Amino acid sequence: MFKSLTARAIIPVTVSVTGFVIVCCILLYSLMKTDMINEVIRFETNQAQTIVKSTRYAMRHDDRESLANIIDNIGTQQGVEHVRIFNKKGLIMFSSNHKETGKLLDKNAAGCIECHSGSVPAATLGDMKQARRFANEKGKEVIAITTPIYNEPDCYQAACHVHKAEQKILGTLDIGLSAAPLVNNLTVMRNRMVIFSLMVLLVTVGGVAALLRRYVFIPLRLLVDFTEKTIQGSEQEIPPFGEEIEKLAGNIRRIVKELNSTRRETARWKKEE
Amino acid sequence: MEKGGMNRPVEEMAPPGFRQNHARLRKETLAKIRVLQRKFTTELLSAVLFLLLSIAALYDFAFFPSLPESIRAALGRPPSVNMIGALLLIYVFSGILLILSRMMSGSGKYGGVNHVGFIAGFYFFYHFSGKLPENFWAVFVAGVTILGLESYHLWIYCSEEIDKEKEVLALLDARPGGQGDGD
Repeated sequence: MFKSLTARAIIPVTVSVTGFVIVCCILLYSLMKTDMINEVIRFETNQAQTIVKSTRYAMRHDDRESLANIIDNIGTQQGVEHVRIFNKKGLIMFSSNHKETGKLLDKNAAGCIECHSGSVPAATLGDMKQARRFANEKGKEVIAITTPIYNEPDCYQAACHVHKAEQKILGTLDIGLSAAPLVNNLTVMRNRMVIFSLMVLLVTVGGVAALLRRYVFIPLRLLVDFTEKTIQGSEQEIPPFGEEIEKLAGNIRRIVKELNSTRRETARWKKEE
Repeated sequence: MEKGGMNRPVEEMAPPGFRQNHARLRKETLAKIRVLQRKFTTELLSAVLFLLLSIAALYDFAFFPSLPESIRAALGRPPSVNMIGALLLIYVFSGILLILSRMMSGSGKYGGVNHVGFIAGFYFFYHFSGKLPENFWAVFVAGVTILGLESYHLWIYCSEEIDKEKEVLALLDARPGGQGDGD
């Protein structure tokens, strides 16, 4: 079965196209997934910086009520799983989840260890290193980002409360967004790619198979039938074919014609005897 | 049929010099058949090696001890995932074209173990860049495609060549219709 002409023509094409399309799709999906996750992290970083800038005025004036109100309102936004601000020691000062306000964070926890892994905590991190992906206590997948709140001249020069100019970081904002939209988009994209790949495979393999059948296998089968029937002694005509096979068919026709005339001649001689 | 007719073995009718040549030719033909059978077995061994390698890669080479930091540092930074992906794509594309061209020309060349080496390289590069779990299936499908095509090509090639050698054996044994045993 695998050694037939049909199999030899179809199997290499099918294996090559299927393998190549699948490898391309997996690599493309992997690249697009990375790009989409990076885009979400970039969006989240911008959002975190917007929050830090929006809360700066309230922080400078030590207006804790406004600050708590801003954090609460952001926390009610659709897709925002948590927002919290903690001080340099890791104590949660403000949080959209009021139950965790006043609790101390572990420096070895995800989101903290990235800066606190060395003896001296890092003051800056790239966007991608600030991000982490985890399932929260509700079982929802979350992409969270931590942004440091830097000590700026208007902080340490303000009269209201004291920060030394040497202190680089005053605290950290931690915001977590639901990863559900990203996961949904990735699933839709994956399904579309699977459908697209199946269509490409069907069109390519089906097209090659149909054309081979129409222009090679059917003419060959007709030629085989024709020669077999001629061997059995019956006389019939074969239809015209495409260029290359027509040459073969022409040669077979000529041979069969000569064979038939020889047969008739032999039959006539036998009758005369 | 009369004595010395067509169905008697060639050896009985021929002079001694021809008999020697005949025996040598028979031996050579049998040796060629054995080489062809071994060629296909080697290709199958490459496929088995690839499967074992893929099983290890599926578990991110967790069975093996991790490379010491000093060796990792000496090796330098791994290439970017995008670059490994682009190389994998070029490798699959050129590999398929090469095997299809061998099929077209009827060449018996094959690169089974070399391909396993290339695929192992991709697995290791992805492993050291920490992105093997995401890209495992891409490398695996690439390997299955290349080795599958190569095995199919080699199987067809070896079968055809063995059939030809069996025809020669049948001719030497004066058994018409390719009925030689070819062992």
